[in-house]
Amino acid sequence: MIATFSAPPLQPAPQYSIGDYIDRLLSGGTLLPNTPENLLEVVGVLHAYGIVLDAYAINLQHIANTQFLNLFPIFKYFDGKISLKKIVKHLWHDRINYEYAEYVMRTMMWHGGGGLDAYLDSEAFLAYCSPAIQAKAKTNPILLVFNKLFPDYLPEQVRQLAYYSGLGQFWRVMSDIFMDLSATYDQGKIKTIDQVIELIKAGLVANASKPIVYKVTISGTEYDILPQEAELSFLFDTAVPYVESIFFRGTPFFGTISYNAQAHQIPIDQGHFDYGALYADPLPIGGAGIPPTLLMQDMRHYVPDYLQTIYAKSVRGKDDVRVQLGQSFQKSMFCVTEAAVRGLMPFPADTNNPKEQTANRDYLNGWMKRLFQSRMNLIQ
Amino acid sequence: MILSALILTPLVGALLISVWPQKIESDQIRKGALITLGVNLVMTTALVAQFDITDSGFQFLEKIAWIEPLGLTYSLGVDGIALPLIVINSLLCFVSVYISHGVRRPRLYYSLLLLITSAVAGAFLAQNLLLFFLFYELELIPLYLLIAIWGGERRGYAATKFLIYTAFSGILILGAFLGLVLLSGTGSFDYDPSLAQTLSVVQQTVLMGVLLIGFGIKIPLFPFHTWLPDAHVEASTPLSVLLAGVLLKLGTYGMLRFCVGLFPQAWMELSPLLAWWAVVSVLYGSLAAIAQTDMKKMVAYSSVGHMGYILLAAAAITPLSILGTVLQMVSHGLISALMFLLVGVVYKKTGTRDLTILRGLMAPERGLPFIGSLMVLGAMASAGIPGMIGFISEFIVFRGSFESQAPQTLFCMLGSGLTSVYFLLMINRVFFGRLDAAPDGTGGTIEVTLPKVSWRDRVPAMTLVLIIFAFGLQPAWLTRWMESTTNSFVPNYTNYANNPGRLVGRGSNDAVIAELLPLNQPLDMPITVLPTH
Repeated sequence: MIATFSAPPLQPAPQYSIGDYIDRLLSGGTLLPNTPENLLEVVGVLHAYGIVLDAYAINLQHIANTQFLNLFPIFKYFDGKISLKKIVKHLWHDRINYEYAEYVMRTMMWHGGGGLDAYLDSEAFLAYCSPAIQAKAKTNPILLVFNKLFPDYLPEQVRQLAYYSGLGQFWRVMSDIFMDLSATYDQGKIKTIDQVIELIKAGLVANASKPIVYKVTISGTEYDILPQEAELSFLFDTAVPYVESIFFRGTPFFGTISYNAQAHQIPIDQGHFDYGALYADPLPIGGAGIPPTLLMQDMRHYVPDYLQTIYAKSVRGKDDVRVQLGQSFQKSMFCVTEAAVRGLMPFPADTNNPKEQTANRDYLNGWMKRLFQSRMNLIQ
Repeated sequence: MILSALILTPLVGALLISVWPQKIESDQIRKGALITLGVNLVMTTALVAQFDITDSGFQFLEKIAWIEPLGLTYSLGVDGIALPLIVINSLLCFVSVYISHGVRRPRLYYSLLLLITSAVAGAFLAQNLLLFFLFYELELIPLYLLIAIWGGERRGYAATKFLIYTAFSGILILGAFLGLVLLSGTGSFDYDPSLAQTLSVVQQTVLMGVLLIGFGIKIPLFPFHTWLPDAHVEASTPLSVLLAGVLLKLGTYGMLRFCVGLFPQAWMELSPLLAWWAVVSVLYGSLAAIAQTDMKKMVAYSSVGHMGYILLAAAAITPLSILGTVLQMVSHGLISALMFLLVGVVYKKTGTRDLTILRGLMAPERGLPFIGSLMVLGAMASAGIPGMIGFISEFIVFRGSFESQAPQTLFCMLGSGLTSVYFLLMINRVFFGRLDAAPDGTGGTIEVTLPKVSWRDRVPAMTLVLIIFAFGLQPAWLTRWMESTTNSFVPNYTNYANNPGRLVGRGSNDAVIAELLPLNQPLDMPITVLPTH
C-alpha cells in the first residue's frame, strides 16, 4: 500500500468522568498514571525546573532587595555581578530568561488572592511602605516629583516589589523541594508517582507556616515592607495564590488560539479564567516573550541524561525537545497540584467515617470540576 | 520527432522496467522512472524553447500513414493550447513518481505511471481523431489498475466505477467521431476544423452533444461527476495528483479542441445553455465541497466546481475566455495537484482525513506547520487571491466570459466566494485550534505529536507553490505561449449572434477581424478589418 502511515492512526481516546478521578484519588491513585516513563519525565523535568527556579528565585529577591524604586534597573538581571563578559552573554541571549519570572510575578499580582494580596491593599502596608518611599525619594528628585504628582504610583511599585520578593521566597522553597526530589530519586528512593507527590506534599507541609517577610535597606537603614506582624506565611499567602493564578487562571496570551474578547470568549470574571499551566497547549509559540517558551528554553539546558534518552526515542527525536519539556512540565505540575490538593484535603483519604468521606468527595469534586477542562484527560 | 519522443520515452521506460531481466529494488525502479521522466521533462523544456509563439497553428507536425482504410494516421502536432498541458503532464508525472515510495509491486506500479504519461501526452498531441481516442483509452486501464491495486479500502468499487464511467465516455467520444466522419463523407479522421461545416446545424448539435457528454464525464461536469470523489478518496496520493492535475484535463482539452474546434456553429447555438450548465456545475461542486468531512473529497468536489469555470469560459467563446480556459486548466492542474499532495501528507502523518477528528495541525514542533502554511497558500490560490495563478486564470475567465454570458458569469463568480468558504472551513478545522485529536467525536481527546515531514514530501509541494506564485506574479510568462492560438481559435460569439451566418474572429491588435462566411464553407475567405468599439 502507498498509504502507509509514518505514525499510527489516531486512536479513540479513553473516556473519563470526574467520578473516575475522585475514586482514583480516594483509593490511593494519582492523577498522572503511575508508569516508569511518567516517573522519569516528572523527576527529570523537575530537576531541570529546580535549577531554573533557583536562578529565578535568586534574581527576583535580588531585584526586590537591590532595585528598590530604581526607575532604570538596567542591570536587574545581573544579580549584582556585572562584567563585560556577562553583558555580552546577556545581549547574545545565552542566558536564563528572567523575563519569565517577572511575567509569572505580574500574573500572580494581577490575579491576587491570599493574604499577601489583602495585606498590600491595607492601610498597614501604606504605613510601612511610606517611610521607605520617603527615604528613597529624599535622595532622588525625580522620585520626589513623581510622588508629589502621583501619590499612588510609588506605593504600587512597592506592591510589585513585594510580589517580586514573595514569589522569590516561594520559589526558593519550591526549588529546594524539587532538587531534594531529584537527589532522593538518584538515591533510588523514589519508585512511583505517588512517592513524588508525597515528597512534594511533605515539603509544602513542612514549609507551610514559613513566614514571608520583606525588608529593604536604604542609606543604611532597614525598612519593613512585609513585616512579621503581617503574619504572611508560605502556604496560604504565596503557594495557594500561586497555584490559583499560574496553574489555573493564567493569562490569555497569544497562542494557538485567538480569543475574541468582544464575543465574550474571555470571561469577564477573572476567577473563571482557565489559561493556566494546566490548561495550556505545551507549545513553544516562539513569539517574542511568550512566557512558556522562555521557560522551555531555560529548562532545555538542564535536562538530565535519562530524560534526554526518553526524548531522543520520541516521534521527533530531539527536534521538538522544548515541546516535550512542556509536556513533561505539565505532567509534573499536575503532581504539584495534586500534592496541594491532598495537603488541603479536610480528612485523610483512607478515612472510614462516612461523613468524612462525603466531605472529602465534595472537596475533591470542586477541584476536579475545575481540572476536568484542563489537559488532565490528555496525560492519561 | 520531438513529439514522438515525448510519447515514446515514457513508453520505452515502462517497457524496460516491466521486462528488465534481473531482480531490481523498488528504489532503483523508482530512480529509473524518475530518470525517464526527467529526460521527458528536459525534452518538454526543449519543445517549449523551440516553440514559435507567433504561430497560431500546429507546430512540429509529424504524420505517418498507419491504417489507411480506417482513416487512422499517426499525426502529431502542438499548438498554444496543447503546449502548456504537455508541460503540466511532464511536470506532474515527474512529481507523482517522485512522491511515490515504498510501493508494493513496483515494476507494475511505475510501468503503469509511465504508460499514463505516454498516453496523456499522445492524447494532447494527436492530430487524428482516432489516434486521440486510442491514447484517451490507453490511459484508462493503467489508471484503473493503479486505483484497483494501490488504492484504499474501497478501491475495487472506486476503480470499477471509474472504469464504467470513463469507458462510457470513450464510447460516446468514439461514436461522435465516427458519426462526424461518416456524415461529412471525408473518410479521414485527421483533425480539421472545417470537418463539420458540411453538416446541418442539427447534425452538428447532436454530434457535439454526444461528444460533450463524453468529455463532460471525464472533466467531470455535474451530473456525471460521481466517479471522481470516489476515485480520489481511494486513489493513492501520487495518483490523486495525476488525476486532478492532468487526467481531468483530457476532458477539458477534448471539449475545447473537438467540441468547440469542430462544431463552432453548434457550440455557439448552445453556448448560453452550456454556460448555465457551468453555473450548475460550479455551484453544485462548491456547495458539495462545503458539505464534506473528508479533506480529499472536499478537494475533489472543488475540482468539479473549478472545472465548471472552464466550461463557462469555453461557452462564452470570446478570445479572452478561451485564453481563460487554457489558463484555468494549467492553474487547476497546479493548484489541485498541490492540494492533493498536501492532503496526502496530512493523511500519511495522521492516518485520517476526517475534518471532525483533525485539528491544530499548524502547531509548531508537534504538528505540520509547514504543510499547513502551504495548504493556506494553496487554498488562497484556489480561491483566486491575487498574486497567484488562480487569480489570473479566474479573472481572465470571468472577464472574458462576461462579454457574452454576463448572468452566468456572475453566478459562477459566486463559486470563488464559496471556494473561500470551504477551504476556510477546512483550514480552520484542520490546522487551527489545539493539536489534540478528538477521534471518536465523544469529546474525549488525546495528545498528539506528529512525525516530521521529510524533504521528499516538502520539495514537490514547494516547487508547485513557487510555480503558482511565479505565474501569478508574471502571468505573461505563461500566456505568451497560448495567446496566438487562443486569439485565432474561435469566432466571436457576440458578432455571430448579431449576424447569423457570419463568423468573426478577434485579432490580438485591438481590431476585429470579420469575414463573411456562409455556414457551410471553410474559413479561407478574404477578411475585412473593422475598427474596435
